Amino acid sequence: MKQTHSIANETVDHARTREAWTLKRVLTNTYFLNAVSLIVFLLVWDYVAREHIFHDSLARPWDVVKQIVYLTNHKYAGTNLWGHIWASTRRVLIGFSIASVVAVPLGLFMALNTRVNAAVKPLFDLFKPMPPIAWVTIAVLWFGIGETSKVFIIVIGSFVPCLLNAYNGVRLVDPELYDVIRVLGGSRRDQIFHVCFPASFPAVFAGLQISLSVAWTCVLAAELTSSRTGLGFLIKRGMDTYKPTLVLGGMLLIAAAAWLTSQLVNILEKRLCPWKRHIENL
Amino acid sequence: MAYRKVEVATPLIVKVLPYVSILGFFLVWEIIVRTGIVPDTLLAAPTTVLKTFFVKLYDMDPDGATIVQHAWVSIQEAFTGFALSLVIGIPLGLCMGWFKVVEGLCRPIFELIRPIPPIAWIPLTVFWFGIGLTGKVFIIWIAGIVPCVINSWVGVRMTNPTLIQMARTYGANDWQIFTQLCIPSALPMVFGALQLALTYCWTNLVGAELLAADAGLGYLITMGGRVARPDIIVLGMISIGISGAIIGFVIDKIEKKLLAGIRR
Repeated sequence: MKQTHSIANETVDHARTREAWTLKRVLTNTYFLNAVSLIVFLLVWDYVAREHIFHDSLARPWDVVKQIVYLTNHKYAGTNLWGHIWASTRRVLIGFSIASVVAVPLGLFMALNTRVNAAVKPLFDLFKPMPPIAWVTIAVLWFGIGETSKVFIIVIGSFVPCLLNAYNGVRLVDPELYDVIRVLGGSRRDQIFHVCFPASFPAVFAGLQISLSVAWTCVLAAELTSSRTGLGFLIKRGMDTYKPTLVLGGMLLIAAAAWLTSQLVNILEKRLCPWKRHIENL
Repeated sequence: MAYRKVEVATPLIVKVLPYVSILGFFLVWEIIVRTGIVPDTLLAAPTTVLKTFFVKLYDMDPDGATIVQHAWVSIQEAFTGFALSLVIGIPLGLCMGWFKVVEGLCRPIFELIRPIPPIAWIPLTVFWFGIGLTGKVFIIWIAGIVPCVINSWVGVRMTNPTLIQMARTYGANDWQIFTQLCIPSALPMVFGALQLALTYCWTNLVGAELLAADAGLGYLITMGGRVARPDIIVLGMISIGISGAIIGFVIDKIEKKLLAGIRR
């Protein structure tokens, strides 16, 4: 028995009979389609770059790979590729940890205590619509162009989704769950620790995922404006010296790094709250 | 009587606290700047910012446009990109949710582009389109299309399977199920994407304008930084915040109106 079709929680099990390799089956096979799409994408990219449709400003895929390999064992602006990747990742991790350590408890606390909520929520609503990137200039003015200003922007950016999701996670807990634990004789403390926190964890983790991707955007914005290390610096340098290979290489690397860190949070989530239901294939 | 209506009075302190905290915030901000705890080269007092706002309504110094012109440029860019991402992203997402072939073909490319922060495209767009409107619209389009595709995709995926099976039993073909069942049931999720996409667009618009622009609210902030005038920076930040909030509010109202007939 194998799951062959699924929409939300519907799973249709087929007793698999051996089917002939018809042309239609091969053509509609998911892996085949994926391969086709990637190959076509790369070919089009290569063609556009080779024929100079965007003048010289698009590099061929192979040249981008060569550029990345070249950077791994040659120093560029003081450090090799791993140094740049680590510089960006470190900023993201520091800012993200500070924000999540402060924002998640604050969000939970706000949802549980009306007075804290009444005092903090209006201030939060005041800052919420301001995009974190808008803080770049004033952060440079306050903290100079060092590490502090970059970490500051990341903290600002990842604070909002963390807090918002923790807050909404607690508020949207199914009220019947509270009724159950009250009937079972649970105290307020039990309600919080046995119902409220476990039930809001999935929302908290969703918030962490969002703030991680915001953090990568922020670190990029900060590094593009002013820095001497990091992946954003590579992209910026590629822009200034008109080297599309460097720009595209930086973009691919930052995508890979962002993807890896979000996978890490995913693994952590699976470990910490196995009760979360997943929508398949997404 | 099975149910009794219980009224819980909100304590006075909870009613008053929001006003106190907002007032306190502005007061502290004003005081720390006026008394020089934070030097006024780093931060401008709220009253100064307000004054700058009124001056900027007619004065073109030091960035070559009044604040209304800047806001107009930003809004134009944001809405062009936003509209384009809706027009392309939502149908694409809906099709990806239902047709296996479309999903198989589009998903790898989408997954490849999704983790790249839209701001990372700025250098390429500057190479390709220069620093004019087109480049920024492209970045905003990239930023907005991701939530559109994901939400409409998930929306179709979350269609109640019982309804699909029922439609099949009554002899509906795939296309009919898709257009008459999956799309309407995906609508609430799709509308959820509007708000999300707008936030993304607005954020990345600022990024694009900070790095490559000659007008717009983000450019106002950059110029404020360049001439070291914190009042202009703070003014730019606040105007971006307020205009973002207003647009979000309007979209929310439209969404409520359009969704009035659909059960959530």
